[in-house]
Amino acid sequence: MKKIVGISDMQISNNARDTLITYSLGSCIAVIIWDPVVKVGGLLHFMLPDSKLDKDRATVNPYMFADSGIPAMFRQAYAYGAKKDRLVVKAVGGAQLLDPSGLFNIGQRNYQIMQRLFQKNKISIAKEDIGGSVNRTVSLEVDSGRTVLRVSGRGRFEI
Amino acid sequence: MSRIDEILSLTRHVPPFPKVAASVMQLLKDPNVTAARLAEVIQYDQVITGNVLKICNAAYFGLSHKINSLDEGLVFIGHDILKDIIIASSSARFYQGNVGSGYGLGQGDMWKHSVACAIMSKRLVQHIDGVEAGSAFTAGLLHDIGKRFLSSFVEDDLEKIITRVDQQGGSFVDAEREFLGMDHAAVGGLVLKNWQFDQELIDAVSGHHDVHALEKAPLTALVALSNSLVISMGIGVGVDGMAAELHGKGLERFSITEKMLDACMVDLFAELGRAQELLNIVGS
Repeated sequence: MKKIVGISDMQISNNARDTLITYSLGSCIAVIIWDPVVKVGGLLHFMLPDSKLDKDRATVNPYMFADSGIPAMFRQAYAYGAKKDRLVVKAVGGAQLLDPSGLFNIGQRNYQIMQRLFQKNKISIAKEDIGGSVNRTVSLEVDSGRTVLRVSGRGRFEI
Repeated sequence: MSRIDEILSLTRHVPPFPKVAASVMQLLKDPNVTAARLAEVIQYDQVITGNVLKICNAAYFGLSHKINSLDEGLVFIGHDILKDIIIASSSARFYQGNVGSGYGLGQGDMWKHSVACAIMSKRLVQHIDGVEAGSAFTAGLLHDIGKRFLSSFVEDDLEKIITRVDQQGGSFVDAEREFLGMDHAAVGGLVLKNWQFDQELIDAVSGHHDVHALEKAPLTALVALSNSLVISMGIGVGVDGMAAELHGKGLERFSITEKMLDACMVDLFAELGRAQELLNIVGS
């Protein structure tokens, strides 16, 4: 079944028939994780870097922010039997508007905080497709871990 | 006929903006106008009447009890909200069906983007002096109306446009101008002119992709900023993606910080959740 992940949303599944998909990533970032042994997959679509901005909303919906959403997704995956050292981690999105002053840099800030978080926790990103001024749609097949990206102007391809 | 003539001809033959909207806006200039007088005018447009009731009862506008008749609705809602409802239900007819398909937008996507932008614009009024909330809402709702008229032309030349954007790293509207002779913002401005909107609104719509929009009139700056944030959030965005250029330097003039913009995005996300009836006026 196709399970749609909205903005500030996350889905996790160990159902071999599921495909997790999120549409239209702009400056938001999708983090995709997959454990090849227990066949658990997760897809997070976070919007902003830092939950300190609005702690109340982050409590209600941790998936809005990188620093609350990423740990919450990993915890869920562990509850499904996934193991940290087996998880394949991919990240896409984080695009930017064209702005020579660099003030519209949400995508970049999203990417930086995600990277810091992964470094601190010794998690490496296996594949990524980040930045530019494009829109991205990404899907994950839970059974195979196949991750397909669609980018405006670059078509559909696997990462 | 050249392509630019074809586009101009389309804007000249655009169906009129519902007369009821203009009449109600005129009446609302008198702060003491009665609900009965408003109802008299509104009732002649069935679509708008239906939408007024539906939207009055939408959580977004926060009324505590169910409204069953137009008279009753008009007593309970404030004039500011009534303006938004009239504009939304008058505009919705121009966003029905496959509008924007040339831009890779699905049914309802353009409306969703426009409603999001209208709500964001209203939210930004607190940071940008000199803009009235109703104008912000209207400009946000109609800023991309030009896409409706440019869509089929974009579709015809999409490959060339995408290639140019990809290889030269420029904005999508630059490519529209290069290959079609006009961009959707300019087309939108002409449409609003035909609909006899105020010059301030026409300028905001035609200027929303001006790279220096943040240094222009407050309403123009506000709509350009609102659109940029909604695009960043990926709401109702097509093949043009984030290939839009806006010089952020102009934000300093309004003392708008990164944190404020982040907070606006969080608020929009929450408000969209409550705006379902507004979104549902146009079928997806």
